[in-house]
Amino acid sequence: MPRLIIDEREIEVPEGTKVIDAAEMLGIVIPRFCYHEALGSVGACRMCAVKFIQGPFKGVQMSCMIEAQDGMVVSTTDQEAVEFRKRVIELLMKNHPLDCPVCDEGGQCLLQDETISGGHAMRRFPGPKRTYRDQYLGPFIKHEMNRCIHCYRCSRFYQEFAGYRDLGPMQIGDRLYFGRFSDGCLESPFSGNLVDICPTGVYTDKTARFKLRRWDLQRAPGLCNQCSLGCNTVANAHYRGVMRMEARFNRDVNGYFLCDAGRFGFSYANGDPGLWRRPLFPKIAGEVAGAADALSAARKALDDIAAKNGPGAVAVVGSQRNSLETQSMMNLVCETRGWLGPVFFFDPAMRLKTLSAVHELDGEIAVSMKQIENADFILVVGADPLNEAPMSAMAIRQAARKKAPVVTIDPRPVSLPCDSQHFAVLPKDIESYLGALILKAMGKDAASLGSESENFRAYLGSQLENFNPPESLDQCARLLAASSKPVIICGTDVTMETTPAFAADCVRLLNLCEKQAGLFNLLPGAGSFGAGLLSRTEVPTFADLVEYIENGRVRGLVFAESDPFHCYPDRARLESALSKLDFFLALDYFPSETARRASVFYPASTIFETGATFLNQEGRAQFASPVHCGGEPIRPGEHPPRVYSGLVPGGDHLPAWKALASIAGMEETCPDIAPEKFVPPSIPGFEALGYPVDGQRPALAKSGFKTQWGLNTFDKSQAPLTFELLMVEWIFGTSEFSAWSDSLAPAVLPPLMSISAKDAVRLGLADKDKVSVELAGGELEIVVSVSDRTAESVLIVPRHNGLEWQKSHDFRVFVSSEKIRKI
Amino acid sequence: MLPDQLRSKLREMIAGAESPREKAIDVMYAIQELQGWMNDEAMVEAAQLLAMSPLELEELATFYDYIYRSPVGKFVIKVCDSTVCWLEGQLRLTDYISSRLGIGLGQTSADGLFTLLPVCCIGYCDRAPAMVINKRVYGNLTPEKIDRILAQLAQKADFSGSE
Amino acid sequence: MAFEYPQVLFKNRKPDRAATLEEYRQSGGYEALQKFIGGAVSPGEVIKIVTESGMLGRGGAGFPTGVKWASVPGSGAFPRYLVANADEMEPGTFKDRVLMHADPHCIIEGMTLAAYSFSASKAFLFVRPSYESGAVILERELENARQAGFLGKNILGTDFSFDIVVHRSGGRYICGEASALLNAIMGKRPNPVKPPPYATEKGLWEKPTVVNNVETLANVSHILRNGPQWFKALSATPQGAGTKLYGISGKVARPGAVELPIGTRLSEIIDVHCEGLAKGSTFKACLPGGASTRFMTADHYDIPMDFEDLKKIGNRLGTAAIMVFDQNTCLVGATLNLLEFFARESCGWCTPCREGLPYMRELLRRIEYGEGKEEYIPNLRMLCKQVWNSYCALAPGAAEPVISLLDFFEDEVRQHISEKGCPFHA
Ligand SMILES: Cc1cc2nc3c(=O)[nH]c(=O)nc-3n(C[C@H](O)[C@H](O)[C@H](O)COP(=O)(O)O)c2cc1C
Ligand code: SF4
Ligand code: FES
Repeated sequence: MPRLIIDEREIEVPEGTKVIDAAEMLGIVIPRFCYHEALGSVGACRMCAVKFIQGPFKGVQMSCMIEAQDGMVVSTTDQEAVEFRKRVIELLMKNHPLDCPVCDEGGQCLLQDETISGGHAMRRFPGPKRTYRDQYLGPFIKHEMNRCIHCYRCSRFYQEFAGYRDLGPMQIGDRLYFGRFSDGCLESPFSGNLVDICPTGVYTDKTARFKLRRWDLQRAPGLCNQCSLGCNTVANAHYRGVMRMEARFNRDVNGYFLCDAGRFGFSYANGDPGLWRRPLFPKIAGEVAGAADALSAARKALDDIAAKNGPGAVAVVGSQRNSLETQSMMNLVCETRGWLGPVFFFDPAMRLKTLSAVHELDGEIAVSMKQIENADFILVVGADPLNEAPMSAMAIRQAARKKAPVVTIDPRPVSLPCDSQHFAVLPKDIESYLGALILKAMGKDAASLGSESENFRAYLGSQLENFNPPESLDQCARLLAASSKPVIICGTDVTMETTPAFAADCVRLLNLCEKQAGLFNLLPGAGSFGAGLLSRTEVPTFADLVEYIENGRVRGLVFAESDPFHCYPDRARLESALSKLDFFLALDYFPSETARRASVFYPASTIFETGATFLNQEGRAQFASPVHCGGEPIRPGEHPPRVYSGLVPGGDHLPAWKALASIAGMEETCPDIAPEKFVPPSIPGFEALGYPVDGQRPALAKSGFKTQWGLNTFDKSQAPLTFELLMVEWIFGTSEFSAWSDSLAPAVLPPLMSISAKDAVRLGLADKDKVSVELAGGELEIVVSVSDRTAESVLIVPRHNGLEWQKSHDFRVFVSSEKIRKI
Repeated sequence: MLPDQLRSKLREMIAGAESPREKAIDVMYAIQELQGWMNDEAMVEAAQLLAMSPLELEELATFYDYIYRSPVGKFVIKVCDSTVCWLEGQLRLTDYISSRLGIGLGQTSADGLFTLLPVCCIGYCDRAPAMVINKRVYGNLTPEKIDRILAQLAQKADFSGSE
Repeated sequence: MAFEYPQVLFKNRKPDRAATLEEYRQSGGYEALQKFIGGAVSPGEVIKIVTESGMLGRGGAGFPTGVKWASVPGSGAFPRYLVANADEMEPGTFKDRVLMHADPHCIIEGMTLAAYSFSASKAFLFVRPSYESGAVILERELENARQAGFLGKNILGTDFSFDIVVHRSGGRYICGEASALLNAIMGKRPNPVKPPPYATEKGLWEKPTVVNNVETLANVSHILRNGPQWFKALSATPQGAGTKLYGISGKVARPGAVELPIGTRLSEIIDVHCEGLAKGSTFKACLPGGASTRFMTADHYDIPMDFEDLKKIGNRLGTAAIMVFDQNTCLVGATLNLLEFFARESCGWCTPCREGLPYMRELLRRIEYGEGKEEYIPNLRMLCKQVWNSYCALAPGAAEPVISLLDFFEDEVRQHISEKGCPFHA
């Protein structure tokens, strides 16, 4: 490890550290524009010049381009270096419009900071300024090229880092221009990062434009709760509204970046008149009521039901959105009061998959996104990273940039922002492909690896005897065999019940072959890991619950941040079931149909108002701080309400879990509750850690091989011309956040049904044809998209908010060919 | 949009390269040979042939001096304005051409025949002042010589090729 | 008389056309190919001879050619590439053009031998747009060489295969810079890239690649045929090696490219080989090696024109393109013209060049057109120093004429400022 001296202070740094970073470790921030840790050094802006006094380099040189070496003596304050940096700033400001008063970057602008700190105040340059024409870049990003200082960060992020090809440098010399071929929406679902990464105001957040100054904002470290990855954010609030979201650096999770769904999908939480949808007032039987009244009405109704029909007639339903606090409180309430639940899952299969994904993961095999970036082989099974957990696709791309082969096995036409080898196979065949790949990679004559693994291997061998995978799989197996740090990314959305556990065992087997293999599960929502961890085996799923309601066993319900109208596939049955109930309460921040119909509605606070803990899909506990107090928004020129009223005025919103405690009569159990009081010690590792420190993963017990082999695996049967209808997620347009965040609406594409090219021929369909698919609940009309990357015998349909996919009536649906009609 | 014959010629050209993008300039030259400049449609089609995005091709097209993204005349007159030609009276010469054709630098004559542009040193300093018209070079220029050249070109229906 | 020296590269030069394959062979062409490739002499031997010959690259930087070839790692990846740099966009420089028009096969044979020395299988000959005529000649002669078995598959029946393609540039000065050139060939934006990795390890498509100037490559067959000592002896100075193509332009009686022993004195080059200055001209200054070298005054009129002697006076041989200015030339105007070029051709990658050169241009414009201020002079000086810290050698090159203008002709600059205009225009 090289030791060097910077500004008369000695430091030892890891091999390969750039001098600019070595200085930062000493707290010396060398000015820079083009350098960014995630993008690496290119030496373009010349802002990071320092003087090298001793060692292999001499004179004024770029600290971003030179690795720290033993014996170096570096000065950042040397006159010549300071003069040079001052000149660079002068040059960069030569054409800058100085429009800081009308620029959204003002107050958080690296260029402002470096100009001031560099000491450039007087304009010497006598010539005119250059000007550019701006482009339209879509609903999220505003383009203002006159402010550009040509550091190339945008194009390097956009093209090299993220892998999209519609924004880049054009022209030459001082006419250099960053933009698109022509006006139009940026194609990358990571475009929002341009706002963070641009050191000046070329790319600003359109959704926040002209609304705020950095110094007027309340800022707090937050979490994105839109998918299971738990990317770290900085939430920015103003006048009781969330104004914008920035990425917060977390080396292990999202690095420096966020996806656009996460960045721009917060407007559901706002009361801004333009975007406002969020129900802010409690209601009893549809009429606005006071908060205390609503809670006590609910409490009374539920108590009555329990008294009359026994506590089991009341059930508590959550969802994949619940925080760990809400989940724990639901558990506690059900345990204490004898209520049924908590129900976290709508789909029984998803419940099984999530549970096994969670319980089969352990500290030995779980990997973080950072570890994906460093993997040397990536196997994506039954997962569509870009749509289910966008930032994981970004991590995959980083590995691919370092030459890791990427293989995807999935019925969907999975596309990634990097090269990949795709096997389009049916959900039930995913395990065969995965198993065959592992078996081939291990080689026939691998030494015995112990009895458990031998059993597994023997089992694989016998099951796959008659399985003849395509030759391209052999090629992939060779690459897998040559890898040392492979990662399997396993999804839960379209996979069979057994797949997550099967994937975990495959990872274990690889590890016995002297690999450092890892498993990375994708789960359906931000609260899924917690739900999996806290789910008690005896509790029903929502599908069971519907039966209980129908036969009168359950008469009262609590929906905590849960909307069956969004999640349950049979709307008609749901409506009739709900109408049979004596009472149901909804605690939510979405203006959902469930909230609208609830006997009592209570407006639960969002993550922005009360904070929350989430376990991400790798089991990492992370805490989001509240950023504002919530309540009615303050509009410019207005004051908070001054007249007394029983309605929720300022910060009186409770999070779902506190409201739940209240209606269960348990406030005393957890007086102004600190979560550590009730997050059950039964979560392994939690007792050791106490309440988990932000970012720490509860050390799950090592599980070893435990697949119950042979459930759905290797099922060879397949009825000809029958299609499985697979309902899937899209990055924009399928989630509840997407449904209730107007800010995302412009990014949502119309729904398409993907079918394979072969099936298209068989069905006499062409790309863009409109078809009607006859389902149990009626005809589903949708436009077809033909792809040669889609598996045969599947119809892939997004759970699109604009599509009545609930006509499917079930979680797993098969459709015969005569039910598909071109219209 | 591109004629089929040209398209298949371009395909063949690209197939022979180490990687398609390598032929970006050649493809654009071939299209310019046919239609003078790279309009947006041509850019999109060429990019597709080259397995590039239109933006990626634009990154190149706008970098280079001999790729035109605005309409040009049939003959693009590029007068060298670098040192030796400057020394040998390029300014006067440019003015002369300018007044002969009635166009300024960057403009195209009304008949669509000539576009006048400056160009940096074309490597004919020993024959300064010099100019290049559609890749053909003319040196030791005098007003009389220019008259002759312009007259000759104006008569030609079609022009391509080199010295 | 002009041509009393041995002609090597120009020996087949004709006034009106390129030498044919036959003519080249008659002059001993392709003998080295027969001897070294046909005779299966080891590639290492080729490198050894070229290194011993003292051949320095003719592209401008004067890097030892043999050393460059030897730096291709023996165990490195395949395929390997050779790039012949015929971009030649440095203002004042035209010697490569004359060479391509004179004796294309001497370039082809040199490239083939160079490729053999480090086992390259393909070469790109990179040609600027205004040299289309040269590109056409070379394409024609490449085909002739293939027909004759000197190029292509199994050269001379050996198992060495190698081919050359002409790659046409879209036209930009920066494309001549070796690393930018590789990007240009690969169809990327031609921004330079700093090593590591070096191109000889990871160049075109991450494979080992050597970039050489065409004049450098044209020397190779001659060196191999006649031996390193012969090559050394061609020089006019003890430390130099070989002949050099000098391209002289500007205020001389007979501008053009001439082949002379490297180190021939400037006085001889101008007075003898260019038949003196143009009528009515007296020598004021010259740029000795292209646009990115320093003005040289009459004080050094007698200097031997080679790498070392010019280095001694703080100047550079560069491309040996000698631009001669006479007493009637405004050197502020000439420098401004050069800056117009450099600012226009800056690739835009780094700040000092992209913004600094237009800055210098603006100050020079103002001085030249009578709006100059005294404070521009120290500012220009400082800028010249600071653009040295740009990403590639373009901006430092651009600063050379400016700083030498201030060093040698500051009075002339001040006169512009005090008289509020160009004294030469009056
Ligand atoms: C801005 C710039 C332009 C250059 N242009 C050329 C050129 O046109 N031709 C050339 O041979 N070398 C040119 N060079 C030098 C090349 O980078 C490289 O050094 C040379 O081609 C190597 O060949 P050699 O070793 O045979 O001299 C240029 C360098 C710079 C910095
Ligand atoms: S000095 Fe910088 S901007 Fe200029 S040509 Fe080199 S890399 Fe490009
Ligand atoms: S940060 Fe080092 S050159 Fe830009």
